[in-house]
Amino acid sequence: MLSNYLIVGAILFALGSVGFLTRRNMIVMFLSAEMMLQGVSLNLVAFSNAWGNCHGQVFTIYVLTVAAAEAAIALALVVALYRRRGSLDVSLWQDLREPDQPAIVDRPEESADVPAPQPAWPKLVPAGVEPERSKEEMEELEESTHA
Amino acid sequence: MPEQWLLDNVWLIPALPLVASAVTAALGPKVLRERSHLPCVLAACLAAVYSLFLLAASTKFVPGELSRFSWIEVGGFTAPISFRVDSLTSLLLVMVTFVGSLIVIYSIGYMRGDRGYWRFFAAVSLFLFSMTGLVLASNFLLIYVFWELVGLCSYLLIGFWYERPAAAAAAKKAFLVNRIGDLGFALGVLMVWVTFGTLDFDTVFAKADSHVPELTLICLLLFCGAVGKSAQFPLHVWLPDAMEGPTPVSALIHAATMVTAGVYMVARFSPLFLLAPAAQLTVATIGGTTALLAALIALTQTDLKRILAYSTVSQLGYMFLGLGCGSKAAVVAGIFHVFTHAFFKALLFLGAGSVKHAMGGVIDINKLGGLRKRMPITCWTFGCGAAALAGVPLLSGFWSKDAILVELAHAGDGGVRTMVYRVLLVAATITALLTAFYTFRAFFKVFWGDERVPHEAGDHAHESPPVMTWPLIVLSIFALGIGWILAAGFHGLNSFLGHSPGLAGSHAEHSTTIMVMSGVVALAGVGLAWWMYGRPSSLPETLAMRIRSAYELSRDKFRFDEIYNATVLRPTLMFSEISRVVDNWVVDGLVRLTAATPAFIGRNLLRPLQSGLIQFYALATMVLLTGLIVVSWLWE
Repeated sequence: MLSNYLIVGAILFALGSVGFLTRRNMIVMFLSAEMMLQGVSLNLVAFSNAWGNCHGQVFTIYVLTVAAAEAAIALALVVALYRRRGSLDVSLWQDLREPDQPAIVDRPEESADVPAPQPAWPKLVPAGVEPERSKEEMEELEESTHA
Repeated sequence: MPEQWLLDNVWLIPALPLVASAVTAALGPKVLRERSHLPCVLAACLAAVYSLFLLAASTKFVPGELSRFSWIEVGGFTAPISFRVDSLTSLLLVMVTFVGSLIVIYSIGYMRGDRGYWRFFAAVSLFLFSMTGLVLASNFLLIYVFWELVGLCSYLLIGFWYERPAAAAAAKKAFLVNRIGDLGFALGVLMVWVTFGTLDFDTVFAKADSHVPELTLICLLLFCGAVGKSAQFPLHVWLPDAMEGPTPVSALIHAATMVTAGVYMVARFSPLFLLAPAAQLTVATIGGTTALLAALIALTQTDLKRILAYSTVSQLGYMFLGLGCGSKAAVVAGIFHVFTHAFFKALLFLGAGSVKHAMGGVIDINKLGGLRKRMPITCWTFGCGAAALAGVPLLSGFWSKDAILVELAHAGDGGVRTMVYRVLLVAATITALLTAFYTFRAFFKVFWGDERVPHEAGDHAHESPPVMTWPLIVLSIFALGIGWILAAGFHGLNSFLGHSPGLAGSHAEHSTTIMVMSGVVALAGVGLAWWMYGRPSSLPETLAMRIRSAYELSRDKFRFDEIYNATVLRPTLMFSEISRVVDNWVVDGLVRLTAATPAFIGRNLLRPLQSGLIQFYALATMVLLTGLIVVSWLWE
């Protein structure tokens, strides 16, 4: 059944494109792009099978080869970029925008509405008043004075 | 020298000054410096000698097109750079180059020490090139090109001292006023092309008979150009202001040669004009009006150069009077006056320049007086010129003026036209009287009476150097004698100019009455001037008080400048101001809006998209791709 293959291919492609658009980690974006390629390749192979010729397979072989080369370059780039900025976040690389446009920065995360913890100050009695003591304290005190 | 050689190489006459101009402009500031006059003087003198030979030989050859270089050839339209030589051309060539040489020599003394010494001679050479080219041109387009070139030279030389606001303004005024006339000239040339299908003089003249109805309009349009260039009413206002230029320029361009280009043009096209009596009458009427008007203005001016300028305007009007009479002999008379006028008016201007040179730039006749002892040569040569201009019997101006008056008296065909010509004859006679009067008013005020030297003169209030006085002497000989040469036989001149197109077989009228009358009028004018200004008298002041409003009208030049300011200048400026506002806010506003819209969209919509966030790009790609697929799917 051709349509089954095509549905799986479309799902792969859709997942890949959603991943590419929503994730900002460069490696994950790269993986998503690969997933889109796999979706397309699956389509080609399915059509090749359906029509009974090998055009689609030839295409797929090509796609795999190119994808391999691309992976080498892309990963090398990712490594180089990571060394520059110490992060894999793709939104750190906006330098090719129009010179007078402001950079788009993340809004700081909304803080939860929790009251800040109050520091526990030691409680002090007013000066000149004998502090109340418990029984054990009194006994200890007496023993030490008798000794 | 063989005539054929002269004919074949006639292009040398304009080429020599052109080369001189280029050489002076290139080498003047660095190499030639105070020797910048050399190329110009050399070229002018060589051209003059060549022209004299040409004049001597000119009756022997058949007029026709010469020295042809192809220039514009588009489809059936051809306008070659080609020259034609006939008796009219050679006569004017001699006038231009000969007077030009003398004035250039005079300028060596007059312009000495000026910062723009080389610039002056470069421009004057360029002018000589343009003027000889104008005279030699053999088709309407070429004459128009040279016509504009002399206009350019005139502009450059009026504004020679461009640091002075008055000179810059005068140059601009001359240029703009000339544009009005030249527009008419350009339209006339186009009309000729539309009517005749060719611009070549000879072809057009040969076909003129078959297009008589169109000729009136063509001639009137061409005459517009002449009105502008020759400073005729109502476009005469630029010439008096043009006196802001150096005096040799006033003599060469604004008295002797360029301003007579209009007269030459009308004479050149006389085969056309003679077939259009209405146009002829217009020419004569405008000429007569201008002659009288300018003479009336000249009566009360106090600037010597301005008096001479108005007298030039007046004499140009006289020439047009002659050209408008409608007979071939009258055209010859007009050219005769051009020729004599060039000599005595150049002489008068150079004399005025000599006075100005010695008096430290002061030229107001009220501040000068009794200079005949300090500057005897200038005084007597100026006197010769003044007498010739006034038309004192037997001097050159007398003969030519008389020839015009005689033709005027015989003009018309018995109907209304004759009446008009009679009125013009009266106006011309009055003008002759006024001319004699104002010329000698200036002469007596400057050279007669008690000696008055302005303090600006300093210690150099003496006769000018020989390089300036010699041209004066040569010119005064011509002013006295040229009339004899040409008029002894005026008939001789008639048969000589008969070799030009349209003037063959002209027959000069003769009238002793007119001759006596014009002589008496001239002498009366001189006598009146002597009676009022030649001896101590309070008569001028009393007279000015008595007819105060007329006096002021004349002194304010009939308020032409004010009238033009109010009727033409002010509305034009207002219109231009409105145009400026519309241009700034409506036209430019639209353009700016068009430019601002993409910028706005880019800045506010497209730029924020370039966020640099890789996931945003991926999302946009995904969404758009999905959208595209959905749309293409729905499309099917």
